[in-house]
Amino acid sequence: MSLFKRVRHGKNKPIGQPDKPDVLPSLQQTLDEFKDCIDLVHRTMPEIQVEFVYFGHLVGSDPFTREIAVPFSSISADEVPSLLARTQYVETQSAKHLIKEILDGAVAIFYGGKCYVVNVYKPDNRSIEQSETEAVITGPHDSFIETAEVNLSLIRQRVKSSHLKVMKYEVGEVTKTDVYVLYIDRITNMGYVRELSRRIQNIEIDAVHDGNMLVQYIDDHPNSVFPLFPTTERTDAAVSKLVSGRVLAIVDGSPSVISAPASFFEFFSSPDDYYQRWMLGTATRLLRFSAFIITIAFTALYVSVTTFHYEMIPEDLLLTLTESRSRVPFPPIYEALLLETTIELLREAGARLPTKIGQTIGIVGGIVIGQAAVQAGLTSNILIIAVASSAIASFVIPSYVMSASIRLIRFALIILAGMLGNMGLIMGMALVVIHLSGLTSLQSSYLTPVAPGRFKDWRDVFIRAPFWMLKERPTQSKSPNEMKNKMKE
Amino acid sequence: MRLLKAIVTLLLAGLLAAGCGQQRILEKLGFIQATGYDLPSEQEREKGRELLVTINVPKADPQGKMKLETLSASVKSSKEARIEFARQTELSLVSGQLRNTLYGVSLAKIGFMNHIDTLVRDPSISQLVKVSVVNGSAHDLLIKRYPEHPNTGQYVDRLLEKESISMAIPRITVYDFTRDYYDDGIDPIAPILKQNAKNIAVDGIALFHNDQYKTRIEPDKTLIFAIIRQNFKYGEMSINLAEDKGEEGQVIFSSVINHRKIRVTREQTDRFSVVIEIVTRGSVHEYTGNLKLSDDADRKKVESLIAGHIEREAGDMLVLMQKNKVDSIGIGQYVRNSMSYSEWKKLNWEEVYPRISIACKAKVIIQDYGKFK
Repeated sequence: MSLFKRVRHGKNKPIGQPDKPDVLPSLQQTLDEFKDCIDLVHRTMPEIQVEFVYFGHLVGSDPFTREIAVPFSSISADEVPSLLARTQYVETQSAKHLIKEILDGAVAIFYGGKCYVVNVYKPDNRSIEQSETEAVITGPHDSFIETAEVNLSLIRQRVKSSHLKVMKYEVGEVTKTDVYVLYIDRITNMGYVRELSRRIQNIEIDAVHDGNMLVQYIDDHPNSVFPLFPTTERTDAAVSKLVSGRVLAIVDGSPSVISAPASFFEFFSSPDDYYQRWMLGTATRLLRFSAFIITIAFTALYVSVTTFHYEMIPEDLLLTLTESRSRVPFPPIYEALLLETTIELLREAGARLPTKIGQTIGIVGGIVIGQAAVQAGLTSNILIIAVASSAIASFVIPSYVMSASIRLIRFALIILAGMLGNMGLIMGMALVVIHLSGLTSLQSSYLTPVAPGRFKDWRDVFIRAPFWMLKERPTQSKSPNEMKNKMKE
Repeated sequence: MRLLKAIVTLLLAGLLAAGCGQQRILEKLGFIQATGYDLPSEQEREKGRELLVTINVPKADPQGKMKLETLSASVKSSKEARIEFARQTELSLVSGQLRNTLYGVSLAKIGFMNHIDTLVRDPSISQLVKVSVVNGSAHDLLIKRYPEHPNTGQYVDRLLEKESISMAIPRITVYDFTRDYYDDGIDPIAPILKQNAKNIAVDGIALFHNDQYKTRIEPDKTLIFAIIRQNFKYGEMSINLAEDKGEEGQVIFSSVINHRKIRVTREQTDRFSVVIEIVTRGSVHEYTGNLKLSDDADRKKVESLIAGHIEREAGDMLVLMQKNKVDSIGIGQYVRNSMSYSEWKKLNWEEVYPRISIACKAKVIIQDYGKFK
């Protein structure tokens, strides 16, 4: 079995029990289905011979009052048929459908052997807050929450267009999680929409808990270190991707919204690049790319230079470096791996702890380990600088998933540099580039616009050119409607 | 499976290749910063030891103090010196951080191209290693400790670097020296260092014929030498106008920007007339004479006095060079460019050079003369 094989999202038969023959819904059968579900509510109104079945915590009190409580309590028995003729009460002929509707927050109304459903779903959700993982200084601060419908409404508020189309799929044999696929008609390439929908429909799992988890089921290359689809919690980022011709997927229960297709370089852009003047945006973007190089190569360079290439050290640094190295009992590679592991431990510990204790971690890490390790002669102080700056540089990358992936590559490069010096470092970097250029995201090249070279896209990838220069949507979107602005110079 | 194969191949390649590159871990190395070559004493030479090699190895000290290890050995060849030095130190000596190579004047008179040659061939040695001649013994200069300058190698390097910025001496690297050595239209030069009681000083410029030291330019004349040798953008000279007839006073001529042109006319097959045209611009920083620099006519007069001074000094210098048969400013290159290569091949330049007539025409422009009138 090939581990690097591209996963083919084939059309397999769904597993699970064979389908039961569908029957007309009845009250007794419904109650049997929900046997032992004590949270199921069963109400009867004997005077008009109507029975209601629903989950109390799924329905909102407002819609319930409006659709059920008020109309049914104010009528007499002979008025019931005309009331149920209203459009919100949908008659259902299928028991399976009925059960699904109840689980989705509908009230089932049984009257005279017939069954109607009315959707009064209003789940509890937390309020809309600022994203903690993708905070920006200027720009909108709202972010997605765990309820898909709220997320949808946040997007609809920003894209007031009938061209914004939404499709809904269900993922998870047990959880039946809703997954919404969003695209803008006439901007998004329908090929991508179909491909993403097909992949989502073909997922066979029992449960999906998060967007970042779903992404791995629809990945082109599940064994790659690099995330192939960016996920964002920011509404403005999601909308900008939508408008540039990407397809979005919202997973119910997750604040992470998936966008596809994506290029490697997309992970290095942040919404606030566009909210600042273009020169500043360009500078920050270039800073992030240099941060990428620093993160993967700085410590490795230290290791290779101190182990093999003393010629590369500037004369004035030579003696200080030798002096601080002379007290370290390990070869540079062990020294570097030791400290890198410590930093990773600190980072992981800091992520788990509440903010107040997290500060203690900062002090322990920064002062105790940093200072004491040098004084104890465990590491050289130049290495502390190298390791710290590569750790800081890794946090510059806006996408958390990407920055974590990059940190992992660093370890491989350090080992290669320790064994083969600069040649190992270059070999490692070359392998990363080779790997990257083989990746695809929704069957489009992951390294667009570098390979294939789409040079006009570079002005919105490596730099952030002024808006009058950004007239076209990215080529990776293969948008049928390429122009996005007609601004003159 | 492909991933697995890739990982296994990588690991294997890594493990197998790990032994190939020689590890040179920083703290186990001794970095040779400066080397000195001399002729050893008579007794040593009688034993067949032709060379006295001295090296300077700065060492790191946990207290942050500068420590310097100086090793020297009388040996038959510079390769033997390496073995000799290895016996004397616990560090493995490497030459990738070499900055300076010094040659004692006695060795320089015999010629030292074979020692430069080893520097050029070793790939770990930079081509920017500076070459200089020591007026005296390179061994003594390197072995002595200068209390104010704990790291002798660095001291020499910075001294040469700084002096070459103001054109007091040319910046001669291994690359420059070899290039001029192999070029048949120019002869190599190198700065001269001198050991004083407490410090090291620059002591003029050594002029070579092939790799043999022939004569030197005195330290106070080095800028004149620079003016006729090359274009440059920054220099400083002091001129005593009293040496010339008529006027008195001292001029410090600074921020000198120099342009020189060499024109060659062939009068006969082996008779050439060479004109060196010099245009020098600069500011007067100090002037103690009676003329008013703000007055156009007076300033012109000072300009022509300076020009006259340059012309005369340069003329003397060219005579000296012709007498010693050293073409240090590269007139041969211009002569070569004025004819076909086959003609140049037929011409015996070394013979012709002392007999050509060289004239020097200087034009001096005073750009600024300060606030006072």
